[in-house]
Amino acid sequence: MVAGRQLPRRAQGRPGPVTTAYADVVGLGMTAMSLRPGATALQLACQATAAALTDAGIGYHDVDGLLVGSSQGIRPERLGVSFAASGGFGDLRLLEHVEIKGATTVAMIQRARHAITTCEASTVVCVFADAPLVEGKGSGSTYAHSGGNTGVRGLERASGLLGSVPTYALLAQRWLHVTGTSADDLCAVAVTARQWAMGNPAAVNHEPLDADGYHASPMIADPLRRCDCARPVNGAVAVVLTGEPSIGSSRVRVRGTGRDHPVRRRRAGAESWFGGGRRAVDDALEQAGLERADLDLAELYDPFSIVTLALLDEYALTRGAPSGEFVRSGQTGPDGTLPTNTGGGQLSGFYLQGMTPLAEAVIQLRGSGGARQVPDATTALVGGIGGRMDHHAALVLERAA
Amino acid sequence: MTAAVNARTADWLLDPVLSPDVHDEAMRPLYDAAGRGELAMPFCADCELALELEQDVCDGCGARNRRWRRVDRRGVVHAATVMHRREPGLVHADYPYPIVDVELNSGHRIVMTTAAPSHTAPPIGSEVLVGFRRLGEAAIPAIDTSEVGP
Repeated sequence: MVAGRQLPRRAQGRPGPVTTAYADVVGLGMTAMSLRPGATALQLACQATAAALTDAGIGYHDVDGLLVGSSQGIRPERLGVSFAASGGFGDLRLLEHVEIKGATTVAMIQRARHAITTCEASTVVCVFADAPLVEGKGSGSTYAHSGGNTGVRGLERASGLLGSVPTYALLAQRWLHVTGTSADDLCAVAVTARQWAMGNPAAVNHEPLDADGYHASPMIADPLRRCDCARPVNGAVAVVLTGEPSIGSSRVRVRGTGRDHPVRRRRAGAESWFGGGRRAVDDALEQAGLERADLDLAELYDPFSIVTLALLDEYALTRGAPSGEFVRSGQTGPDGTLPTNTGGGQLSGFYLQGMTPLAEAVIQLRGSGGARQVPDATTALVGGIGGRMDHHAALVLERAA
Repeated sequence: MTAAVNARTADWLLDPVLSPDVHDEAMRPLYDAAGRGELAMPFCADCELALELEQDVCDGCGARNRRWRRVDRRGVVHAATVMHRREPGLVHADYPYPIVDVELNSGHRIVMTTAAPSHTAPPIGSEVLVGFRRLGEAAIPAIDTSEVGP
């Protein structure tokens, strides 16, 4: 099914932008996802952008919009709007650095779609690059050393809360306690993710993983083991969106977007790490004119296994079943009712923030998922979360051609 | 500084490089109070709502007038983990250590470890008493394990 009506409004007698009622992803470019330091974020962004433009069959001067995303915090060199010049682009009508933590990628797509459908730009590149891995230091060490010594974060670090794993461990303990879920369900998430990753050549974790292997994985912060945590990579992904029907041979349409930014208080009587976010998915589906049952797959932001469980529950994707039971019974696996994180997600695939779920959704909807392809995948939900599940962004994509 | 003094003031868990900035304007009342052996938390001066540590505007009444005051040192465990990963150079303990999110009787919530060496964490719902540990020049709230309740 393809919805959205094309409304061409080309100026008479001279070339100009075409306004449409839709925006399609027509180009996807990915670097290799590396577990070793090497190229800078800028170099990676250049590679991904060139690949995306080639994939769309256009050049730099066909682009009039550029949105860049980069990670906060620990990176000395972040991709910024100067990429317009250093990345080889010509004059642009849209240029922004988008920043809403892990929700950035979906926010970029949302911004690009708005620009295209309001004629602020006709063809937009969205690129995200990150290079957290540096010579002589593991990623866990890099994160442990970041955060500073001021404010609440300084107090937390002085109490041993180093890096992001213990924060999500606290969240996990609280969520498991409140929902009555067993920590064994974390194992089901990790094993399912690995099963998917084994079919994804771009995944960084390919080795088979069963429950015994999971329980042999080192504990990082109780209840999170190494297998419950994403592996950061150095890499970049770029996508090209356009409303121009002549560009691209493979089209994935942006059907709906939604956002939810619950402001929670760390105060007695309330949860401070979860609750809220469903509205993002509700709004995206409503825009798309779809129901949850129409989704062929879900690509969620899963930096830790606990997040997959919490989001399946929060976004009401389990048809009423507890999310642990939903995963344990195989519903998020290859033969399930909602194949989820089909490239292995961030857990076993690669952690490139919001580009991980977006890239996998585009691959699946193009039918180019190879061994992990979900048969007849037509619609996908893409999620992004930021902070401590403080920011939620949802995107509904549909194969258009 | 002599070795004896060093031994008395050294934290059981972390390297002083992680000592918080006690002159940080937003958090200074907490560290000043902790240095006196007291626990202080911020409230809205107009409506008395418990505010978050870095909250400037009261979400209850909109006032921009917060006041720190001494609070009850008792609370309940909201969440707890045992941290197994020990970053070389930052963590000196040679065994896993507890990290606990405590919901204070005042309504505030604050992350801490234990004042004395421990490799276990109290379960969610446990009553705890907040004491203090010293890291560098800062006194920092920490669970007084000698007073951990059931």
